[in-house]
Order: sequence, then C-alpha cells, then structure tokens
Amino acid sequence: MEMTTVFQCEESLDGILTGVYDAWASRLGHKAVRLETEAQANLELFCRYRQVPADLEKAEKVLRTIRRRMGEEGEEAVCYAAACRDPRRADAIYRMIVLGLHLIDGREAVNCLQNEAVSLVMKLRMKAWHEAHQLMGFVRFEELENGVLYARVEPDCAALPLMAPHFADRYRQENWVIHDVGRRQLAIHPADRTWVLAEADVLDAAYLERRSPREEEFVRLWKSFCETIAIEERRNPRCQRGMLPLHFRTYMTEFH
Amino acid sequence: MQQVWIPESLSLMEKLNILSDAAKYDVACTSSGVDRGNNGRGMGNAISAGICHSFSADGRCISLLKILFTNECIYNCRYCLNRVSNDVKRATFTPGEICDLVMGFYRRNYIEGLFLSSGILKNPNYTMELLYQTLHKLRREYHFGGYIHVKAIPGADGRLIEKTGYLADRMSVNLELPTAEGLKRLAPNKSRTKILTPMRQVQNRMEENQGELALYRHAPKFVPAGQSTQMIIGATPENDYQIVSVAEALYRNFQLKRVFYSAFVRVNEDSLLPALPGGPPLLREHRLYQADWLLRFYGFEAEELLSADRPNFNVLLDPKCDWALRHLEQFPVEVNKAEYRALLRVPGIGVRSAQRIVRARRMGGLGFADLKRMGVVLKRAIYFITCQGKTMYPIRLEEDYITRNLLSVKERLPLGLGQDVTYRQLSLFDDLHLPKGEGQEQRLA
Repeated sequence: MEMTTVFQCEESLDGILTGVYDAWASRLGHKAVRLETEAQANLELFCRYRQVPADLEKAEKVLRTIRRRMGEEGEEAVCYAAACRDPRRADAIYRMIVLGLHLIDGREAVNCLQNEAVSLVMKLRMKAWHEAHQLMGFVRFEELENGVLYARVEPDCAALPLMAPHFADRYRQENWVIHDVGRRQLAIHPADRTWVLAEADVLDAAYLERRSPREEEFVRLWKSFCETIAIEERRNPRCQRGMLPLHFRTYMTEFH
Repeated sequence: MQQVWIPESLSLMEKLNILSDAAKYDVACTSSGVDRGNNGRGMGNAISAGICHSFSADGRCISLLKILFTNECIYNCRYCLNRVSNDVKRATFTPGEICDLVMGFYRRNYIEGLFLSSGILKNPNYTMELLYQTLHKLRREYHFGGYIHVKAIPGADGRLIEKTGYLADRMSVNLELPTAEGLKRLAPNKSRTKILTPMRQVQNRMEENQGELALYRHAPKFVPAGQSTQMIIGATPENDYQIVSVAEALYRNFQLKRVFYSAFVRVNEDSLLPALPGGPPLLREHRLYQADWLLRFYGFEAEELLSADRPNFNVLLDPKCDWALRHLEQFPVEVNKAEYRALLRVPGIGVRSAQRIVRARRMGGLGFADLKRMGVVLKRAIYFITCQGKTMYPIRLEEDYITRNLLSVKERLPLGLGQDVTYRQLSLFDDLHLPKGEGQEQRLA
C-alpha cells in the first residue's frame, strides 16, 4: 500500500492555498497527497503528516494562477469555499485546481458538477455567499460617541473579508469597524481609505461602551417600526424564524 | 369630513408609528433591480439582488423604511384603513423628518432605503409635489445613494411624476383590484384609466430614457429599477385565471418588473367587503406568486396554466406540477439532451438547477446522483425525466399514479402555511378532478 502524505494547513484562505502550493510542489503525485485543515486532528495510520505554515507569497502565486487559468468565477469559488468551516474543503479545493489546470479551458472547471470535489466547492461557495449576503442585511451598527460605527457579528464562515467591500462602498465616508466575535477579528475602515483586517485585541472595551447621544433614540424608533410593520392577521413566527434564524439575532437591535 | 385634530407637536415616534402602521399593507418591500456604487459625496449604494435587512413577525421581509407621507386622505376606498370616513389618528411627516429617519436608519444598516407612499392630501398634485420635495431633499441635500421606491399618485400632473422619477429607483402605481368592475365597487374615487395613465407614462419615459442612456452614458437615469404594481386578492370575486391574465397583460403591455399580490385583510367593517372567517387567503396568494414566477422566468403563458373551464389553481399541487400532469405527452425529458426551456418545465427543476445542468452536461454525461447534488428535487422530478435513456425507477407515465406519488411528497409551503393543505386532503379528488369554480375563499376556509 502506498503511503499518503497529508498536508496539514492553516484554516485561513492563505493557509489552504499554501497547502495547495506545497502539495503540488512536493511532486508526490496527486493521488499520494491529501490536504487537511488543522482542526482535523484525527491521525491515520499509513500516512505521513506535514505541517504547512501559511506563506503569503506562495498563496498569492496560487491565487494568481487560479485567476489566470480558471477565471474570476473559479477564483471566487475558491475564496468563498475556503471561508467555510467544512473539514473537506482544503482537499476539494486542491482537486478542483488540479482539474482546472488539466482542462484546456480551465474556466470550465466550475461547471464540472459531476466531479465530487467541484460539486463540494461550489456548494460551499454558495453557502458562504449566502451567509455573507444575509449578513449584509443583518449587521447592525451602533454609533459610538466619536461617530465611529461599530458592529458585532458571529458568523459560521469567515465572512468579514466577504462583506467588508460592500460596506466600504456603502459607508465610504464613515469610520466603521465590524467585529467577528467568534474569530476575534476586526474589519476596520477609516473614512475614505481602504479597509483592513486586524486582531480584535486592539479594541478598548471601555471605549465601546460610550454611545453617541442620538443612538438610543434611533434604536427606539427602529424597534417600534419593526413592531408596527407586521400584519397581525398574517402573524407567522415560524416563517420569520426560517428567514431570519435565531443565531443571527444575537446582535440585532430589534430583537433586544 | 370626519377628522381627528392632531396637534402639530406630534413626536417623531408617534408619527412613525402611525405612518408605518398605515403603510404596512403595501407589499413591495423589495430593493432589487439596480446596481449603483457610492456617489462619492454621500452615503449609500444599491445592489441589484436587493438585500433583506430584517423579517417582521408575519415573516415578511423588511428591506425599506416603508411609510406613508401622510395618512390623511380625501378618498373613501372601502378596503382601506385610511379612508376619509374612518376615525383614525392622522399624521403627516415633513420632508426633513423623513430625511432624518432615512439617514439615521441607513447609517446603522437597519434599512436598504426608503419606500414612500401617501394618502391623498388636498389633491393628487399637492401630494405628489410633497413626495417630490422629500426625494429631492434626500438626494440633493443629503446626497443619499441608497434605494428609493416611490408611488406615483394617479391623477397627478405628468411633469411632477417625471421629475420624481429621476430621483427614484423604482416607481409604482397600485392597480388596487384586478378588474375595473371591482375598482368601481370598492374604490369609487379611482378609475382604471386614471391608474393606467401614470403607469403608461412611466413606461414611455423609461423607454425614451433607454435611448438617451445609449447615446450619453451619463444621462440622468429615470426609474432605473423599473416599475411595479400590486393588487388585492380576495376582496372582489375575480378568479385566479382573471388575475393571472391581468398580470400577464401588465408584464407584456406595460413592461412591469413585478406584480405583487396581497391577500385581502379585512380592516374595515363594510357590507361590500367579503367576510373571511379563515383569515386572509394566504395559500391562494402563494399560488399566484408561484404562477407569477412561471410567467416571468419559466416561459409559461397564462393560457397554459388556467382556462375559463379551470379558472382556479389546484390547492394541493403547485401550478407547475399541475401543468405537467396535464401534459404527460411532453414527458419524460432526457436531461442530457433536452433544451433549456424543456428542462425548466420539469417539476423539481428550477432556474438555477436547469442552468447548472446545461453547463455541466457539456463536460460529460449526467446521472441521477449528479442531479441530486445540483439541487434538483428528485422526489418530484423522477416521474418526468430520464438520464441516458433510463428512468430512476420503473415508472408508469399515468396521471393518477404520478398524482398519488406527488401528493405523498410534502410540498414545501412557506413555513406555517401547511395546515390548510392537510385540512383539505379529505376532498382531494374533488380538487383534482372536478374543479367547480367555487370561490377560493371558501376553499381555504
């Protein structure tokens, strides 16, 4: 029996793409390698394990190749799928890239839904896209004393980089921060500049407590609006829960 | 004229309560149809898929700040809470107050924009002018770049409507009721012609604007997200066939983006309004939306779905299954070869899965497992398709056999709507084979 080499990469997009680079560069053959993300700590017999520390340069190279050979759609699929938590995603992304570089027109790779890896990547892409899209609506900003807009989220997938560009355009002239509480990450946008990702420990908790003077008024107006706009005769909390699952509501103004 | 005198000191909160409560029966809370980046001077953008910001206790999406400018009204439409003869609290916003609310809400990402409708204050022109001023202030003084949906007031001057349309993303004129007779009965101050005039005007102006935009890319855009309308279902005795035909005519002749259907809610005690002991006809509204989708995205025509002999939708089966069962001669369809349009007509295959199939089969043959992964609902589709010439199981292409099997697959109705269907299963064969053209309200009761 042939020995499989498992490349254990970091959870992030860069981590996974570095894994793709190293697995490819190892020249062990596609059948003899497998990609896993760190969270999967179940070691198997007859496997060699290789730790892959994320390397921005390698990741950037892989992403450039994907863009060139598999088109924007392929790039987007990889980025969104990598944001999910699914433990199979790293290997599926690797297989899809192998297929994409093998096809004469790599842009067709995203269409090969007969292929299990592609099918999984596309499914995860959809899942992450959907959550990011939901969050674009469900994120609630609070205005702090100094006019900065601050929002907290706790998404299942790593949605910050997926939705930050949307808010950067929408609130171009505003200073805003979105805080991914679970991942302890921030997306920070200074007015009229580009947004950046940062670690959450740069935040000062006391500073977040101080709200702007009109904040409370708008919160009250909004809550009241959400109540009056519902039609009593059509009341349907099950439908509401289906459309807006409870886990989103933790930080939503109108549910507190 | 009966009116409650309200002191001018009404707080913003009180006005918002009164004027959002008065606007809640309007359906169109969508923010779709236009892609626009930040204008560089103010806040806001728009994305064409639209964004839902919350869902209210009735399960409807909240995307826009949906309010009336005023609930004062000179008309006396029988179905409307704000009719002049009703003794309700009245309030009127100022343009400044609306701007303050919109900017405050938008900044906190509560909303995608504004939905502004209004009762008729003094006369249609006066009202339309107020709506125009509000939009003007919002766009030109506050540089608001988010979504705006505004009502065109029937009877208002064409120039006013045109000016307003350049500031809005979507305009709509409510058709109110499906037929002119219904309108005459329940809305004596409105007429079909008066409603269709501004609708036609907006359509014509949009078409001219398309030409201007082709010549000058930076020409101002007139109602870029298109026009919509809505009608009340179940307040008047029209059948589904009439309603779907009206919708089809509106899509064809007025190039509407959307027609919305709103299940009638009885808010006024009025001898001309039907009593609805079972509540608003929600399942019927749902069937109409399904049919509406079939018209807009699936290439169906009203004539195919219903006819004068079968004027109402089947309560137990969705319109597409119902159609397929009556056209078994067109099935089974070979998934690997059939045209896109034929795939769209298979129950269980939606627009998205049909597109996936067409793209994937160029890369190799498809089997049933592949279809499942692509999101095809096999439980429904297996009776109508083959993969490489084979059905999934041995299947008889007979109406009764397939109907029985389809009915055992639970339809995914909007959550909470399911009860009506199980309740009605006793008279299953009546519904399937002997459509008597009875009133839908009765069927849903």
